[in-house]
Amino acid sequence: MSIGVLLVDDEDLIRAGLRAIIDAEADLSVLGEAGDGAQAVAKARALEPDVVLMDVRMPAVDGIQATRHILDNQPRPPKIIVVTTFENDDYVYDALRAGANGFLLKRSRPAEIVQAIRAVVAGDSLLFPAKIRALAERNRPQQPPAGRAMAKLTDREADVLRLMSTGLSNAEIAGELVVSLQTVKTHVGNVLGKLGARDRTQAVIVAYESGFIQPR
Amino acid sequence: MSIALRPMTGGITYRRWAYLILGGALFVPYVLAGAVLLPLALIRVQYLFGNAVHLLLILLCVAILMVLTSFIPAVRTVEGAAVRELLGGPITEHGVGSARSWAARWRWTAWFVLHILVGGLVSLVTLFVPPMAVVSFTEPFVSNQNLGGLRLPQGHGVWRWVIPIGGILALICVIYAVAAAGAILARLAPIFLGPSAADRLAAAEDRARTLAQRNRLARELHDSVGHALSVVSIQAGAAGRVLDTDPEFARRALSAIEESARSAMTDLDHVLGLLREDAEDGSSRTPRSSLDALDELVASTELTGISVDLRVTGDLAAVPQVVSREAYRIVQEGLTNVLRHAGKVQVTVCVDVQPELLVELTMVNPLGNPGPAGHRLGRGGRGLPGMRERVTVLHGQLTAGAVGNEWRVNVILPLHLSAHA
Repeated sequence: MSIGVLLVDDEDLIRAGLRAIIDAEADLSVLGEAGDGAQAVAKARALEPDVVLMDVRMPAVDGIQATRHILDNQPRPPKIIVVTTFENDDYVYDALRAGANGFLLKRSRPAEIVQAIRAVVAGDSLLFPAKIRALAERNRPQQPPAGRAMAKLTDREADVLRLMSTGLSNAEIAGELVVSLQTVKTHVGNVLGKLGARDRTQAVIVAYESGFIQPR
Repeated sequence: MSIALRPMTGGITYRRWAYLILGGALFVPYVLAGAVLLPLALIRVQYLFGNAVHLLLILLCVAILMVLTSFIPAVRTVEGAAVRELLGGPITEHGVGSARSWAARWRWTAWFVLHILVGGLVSLVTLFVPPMAVVSFTEPFVSNQNLGGLRLPQGHGVWRWVIPIGGILALICVIYAVAAAGAILARLAPIFLGPSAADRLAAAEDRARTLAQRNRLARELHDSVGHALSVVSIQAGAAGRVLDTDPEFARRALSAIEESARSAMTDLDHVLGLLREDAEDGSSRTPRSSLDALDELVASTELTGISVDLRVTGDLAAVPQVVSREAYRIVQEGLTNVLRHAGKVQVTVCVDVQPELLVELTMVNPLGNPGPAGHRLGRGGRGLPGMRERVTVLHGQLTAGAVGNEWRVNVILPLHLSAHA
């Protein structure tokens, strides 16, 4: 069972390059391509991919709007990876807040690109924790909005959230805290539930924005 | 103690003293005018209206002379330099403002008058007190001193030393007084000479413009070069992955990479052109000439002995300013090249504007005696490479070469960048 990918970018050459890179992997396959946000929404519904590689800056409907629309309206939404030219791009953070599961730079090596797709499907570790931290630091709000939700976490759940934010996978967290993998999964599930987060990327963003984790 | 001594030991006191003496020197012409020239010139007034009116009129004339002097821009320049270098104090941080408005000019005038009046007073004291102090030192040793017509009583015993000590005290008082006057002037200088609200506004506008330009360049780089390099890295990465399995894709990827890199270079040229334009705008405040000024260019060129046949078709006003300015410079460089390489010959310059599309420049001249043109480029100006650079920035085309026994330069510039981007 291979991972189905939808490519969204307004530039043909970017899509063709990504397609070649992804199709060269045995466990990945490109299901389709879209040239703008509106097409992306339609194709995501029709093709039901596992992962969408979404360009942020596109004419008409941009990647942020398309991300929001797909996540809100599709019964079993795909994982969404935002693809960007520059890492200091405020659009990227907006897309992450809109629910994207991670982001990828267009200049990433082919190995990093396919690794990111696999990681986001497995969902048990964070993509590029350092860069998300940097983005969260730059976009930090003045008023912590979700401070109360944070207070409901148990000490152990808070530990797990802190380790998640550094990019550790569930197995690594289990090793760090000397507990079973199943226990970690339970904790992660509880953290996501209490924070109302879709996945660990969202949970970590909430953690930074609420001041629960101090960026440094 | 050291603070109390600082006015005497600090170099700033003596620099400010020099500034005040300078004011005294400036005062001298007005003293001459007020004491010698004007009383003679206005002698009839004295006969008709009496001494008081005469004196009043003289003072008024001196004041008017001072005010008129202060309006001379060169005087402001010198005064500003003297304030910065000699007076010092807070004005060196604020910077001397320009006298753009009349309000600012009158503030300069007030300062100028203040400078020469205080300076005159200080100069007078400087001329009088130190020599007197020196003379007073000799008092205990010489009898029947004559100090400026004043006969001092000969002291006895300890009293003999009273006068030299008085001389030293007077000298110290003068130093402190001058230091105080200098310090007060330095404190006041920003009020009179500091940048006005209009100056500060202009500076803020300059900063805003620079920022906007920088943002524009960042956006250009982001949109064009960043995009092209993304394509290059993804296509190259993909080609590497599928080189063995799909050589046809790899071949296509290579040509896409080539194209993207080339278009990135062109865009980079364009952005660097904008940067250079910004730098030129910043370095010279004079507006740059555009095609409207071709007639003047032709006239000044003909002074060098070249005869120019200028033919313009189409509406020059329809050419955007950026293109028009560059086109003017291209013609200018072309004419310079003709003079340099072909000598004093007849040149035909054709400017053809096709609305909404392009402007075509053609320059034709016979090959002159010094040999074929193009062989000695790079001497002095930037010649053909410089022209080519300008043309590239505007996404235009340039052809140059010998046709028969004529040298022909043809330049086509699109009127709008987007038409060719």
